[in-house]
Order: sequence, then structure tokens, then C-alpha cells
Amino acid sequence: MALLPLKVMIKIIFFVFSLFLYSNAYSESTVKAGDSLIWDSENKSYTANGDVEFKNDKFIAFADKMIANYIEENNDEIFTVIELFENVVIEFEEETFKGKYAIYTRDDNIIKLTGDVSIESPTRLLTGNELIADIDNNKRILNSANKDSLVEVLLENNADD
Amino acid sequence: MSKFLKENIFNIFIFLLLSIQAFMYYYDNRPSSKVFSQKSMSVENFSSIVLGKSGLTKIGSEKLNKIDEDNFFLQGKSYLENNEYKIYGEDISINLNEDISHSKKSVQVINSMGTLDAKGFRNIDSEGKIYFDGVVTFKSHD
Repeated sequence: MALLPLKVMIKIIFFVFSLFLYSNAYSESTVKAGDSLIWDSENKSYTANGDVEFKNDKFIAFADKMIANYIEENNDEIFTVIELFENVVIEFEEETFKGKYAIYTRDDNIIKLTGDVSIESPTRLLTGNELIADIDNNKRILNSANKDSLVEVLLENNADD
Repeated sequence: MSKFLKENIFNIFIFLLLSIQAFMYYYDNRPSSKVFSQKSMSVENFSSIVLGKSGLTKIGSEKLNKIDEDNFFLQGKSYLENNEYKIYGEDISINLNEDISHSKKSVQVINSMGTLDAKGFRNIDSEGKIYFDGVVTFKSHD
């Protein structure tokens, strides 16, 4: 097989790398609101109310209310911080996080939940007061106000293992 | 009778002509509702540029109805476009004095982040806020 000229190969590699960077920087997000949505261009935020659903390439989140802040970068707007209020449910791969309030920061890909939080996976259910989910490093930190409030429950489908 | 007609036929003819002319004069000068409705101003396939807080906004519609000095109604398919957003909808009301535009019909908004679909909107330009009611879907660009 004849080798491609070096210049052509460099161009192809550069093109593929650019596509990769672009797809990571501008991944698609969707916001759905059942009651209303306010776009505040002065404070650079979107406020959604009623059966809110937020979806990006990492996770899907549900809540009663959401405030999404954004920045302008290269003539584009990018969500930077997402706040979710009341009845928060976040589905990430096989895990489900629940809480009363959640904040997601795009820069570090960390989700922090507070208020009667739980983390449910196919094998176990953990409950506490605060959950920090580091998506990039695949770390979960569950904090509790006192020793008794941290609970671990093994789910039924784990009993067969 | 025939003798009377023969003697006065010319006078009768003149009288009829004068009557017709008087009738035509009356109808030509009478203020009619048709003229009034033209003065309320409505323009079809209209587009223009207005200066608001968001800068220059291009507006257009199938039919523009001027309600008064500050209020316009964009009838049918209409749009508002400026540097921040493009609003495509139907039957949009605009108040130039308060910088407010609104519609209760389906609307699509495109900005630098994505595309938003809603059942209606209320754009308060002076506050930099657009309110969307009902089910709203916002999809950011790929």
C-alpha cells in the first residue's frame, strides 16, 4: 500500500484533531421546560420552571426549576454552571443521583448535590446529606451530618451475585 | 302632453344633466369609511429597521398594521432580527415606546447558543429578558 505524502497526512491528522476539539467544546445540550423559560441576556442565564429536563453528552437531569448560566466564547454561548432546584434527579450512566439541590460546573465536570441525597447504582443504594460526583475522575464522595445518617443498602439484584 | 314635451324637452334635458352632476359632486366629496381605513395604515410584505436597546432590529411581516404612533401589529408570519436573536413567529405586537414585543402564537428563537421553540413569548428589550410560556424546548448548537 502506497503511503500518503507527509503533508497530506499532517493535514488529515490536524483536521481530525480539530473535529475532536470542536465536538468537545460545543457538545449539544437540550433544555425542556413544562411551564416557562426566561432568557436573561443581561445576566447571561436561562431560568426554566416546571418539569425541567436538562440533557448534555454527560448526563440527563430532572428538577422543578433550573438556572443555567452561560458565557460567550468566540461568538458562541456555552453553559458553564447549571443549578437545579427541588426534586432533583440526575441520571449518569448506570447511576441515579437524587437530592433537593444540585449544582454542576462544566469546567471541572463535578456535580454537587445537597439535601437528603441518594446515589443508586444497580448494586447498591447510598443515602446521605451531600454528594459530590466527580465525573471525569469517576469519584463519588458522600457526606453525612452525623454517623447515623449515612446508610448503605444492598439492592435485591445484588443478592444473586 | 306631447306638445308640452316638445316645447320643454331641452329644459328637461338640461335639468337632468344638472341633477346628475350635482349627484356626482356630492358623492365625490363625501367622507367615506373606505378612505378612513386607508388612513389607519396597513402595509403588506413589510420590512423595516427600528432602533431599540438591543441595537438595530430588523422587523418584517406579511402585513403591518399601525395601531398608533407607538404600537404596531405584525400580522401573519413575522420576524424580528438583531445581533442577539432572530425571532420567527406569527401575529407579533410591538410597543416601540416600552420596547416590548409579544405573541401568543408559536415562536422560534435562534441565538448564538441554539434554537428555542415555544408557544408564545414576551420580549422586554429594556430588561434584556425574553419570557416564554408553556412547554419550551431549547436545543444548543452541535
